[in-house]
Amino acid sequence: MVKMGLHDYFKPVSTWSVEKVRELVAERDPGEYVLVDVRQPKEYERGHIPGARLIPLSELEDRMDELERGKPVITY
Amino acid sequence: MRSRAAAQTLGNAGFSDVHSLEGGMKAWDGLVAEGIPEAGMAYFLGAERPEELIGLSWLLEDGSGIFYSELAKVFPEVERQVFEMLEQAEGRHKDSLFGLYQDIFGKVPDEHFPGSVLRDMPRERVMEGGMSVAEALQWTRDKDFSDVLELCLSLETNSYDLYIKMRRVVDDERAIRVFSSLAEEEKQHLKRLTAILDERLSV
Repeated sequence: MVKMGLHDYFKPVSTWSVEKVRELVAERDPGEYVLVDVRQPKEYERGHIPGARLIPLSELEDRMDELERGKPVITY
Repeated sequence: MRSRAAAQTLGNAGFSDVHSLEGGMKAWDGLVAEGIPEAGMAYFLGAERPEELIGLSWLLEDGSGIFYSELAKVFPEVERQVFEMLEQAEGRHKDSLFGLYQDIFGKVPDEHFPGSVLRDMPRERVMEGGMSVAEALQWTRDKDFSDVLELCLSLETNSYDLYIKMRRVVDDERAIRVFSSLAEEEKQHLKRLTAILDERLSV
């Protein structure tokens, strides 16, 4: 379990624009990146980005091993 | 914001290439798939061998082709051409599946395909996106062209979603190839469909 200090909380997170992600989804092979929907199941069901996996935020800590390392990971 | 918190969590756990989508799903203006994570997978349940997966996928494409050909019958000239084009695209997808079968097995499927490779044939005609062809046609009965195109886009997007997920869950190298190929074709197909819809909506 990684402890998050106050300064970690404020560490900048890289954000990608909708254009960039849309291009990624349109051009790249789905095996080349990892798309994770961190919302709740009902939200996912109503509409998600094609190919996105669902790992609600509260479960992420326990389930992050489901995600491959070494590939760009995009969360939304 | 959940997505930033998630990216933060992953970053702290050693994931080196993490990014949060700016604006989240609300800002997303690309394709949208619907349904639970396992949506559509039940269709392939019980099929393990690549030839079964190819056979089942072929049936989905065939179902879509029939759907489009029925729509072509009821819409007037310009719109009919769109459905004919979509029907032809499904025909090409089916050809690709034959090609894939040949790559994997060294021969084309026999004349009883897909019955010859499936344990059971599905009870009713299903199309990509998981809807029964009959149900989909029923829905289109009094809808206008734009609405029908949106349904098509929705079904094909769900189909794309399914192929990506199937590729992730199967182990067999050859099965992975089947779904990689299907996902790629679907992606191209969607580009075309989106362009048509955009053109249509801007009129």
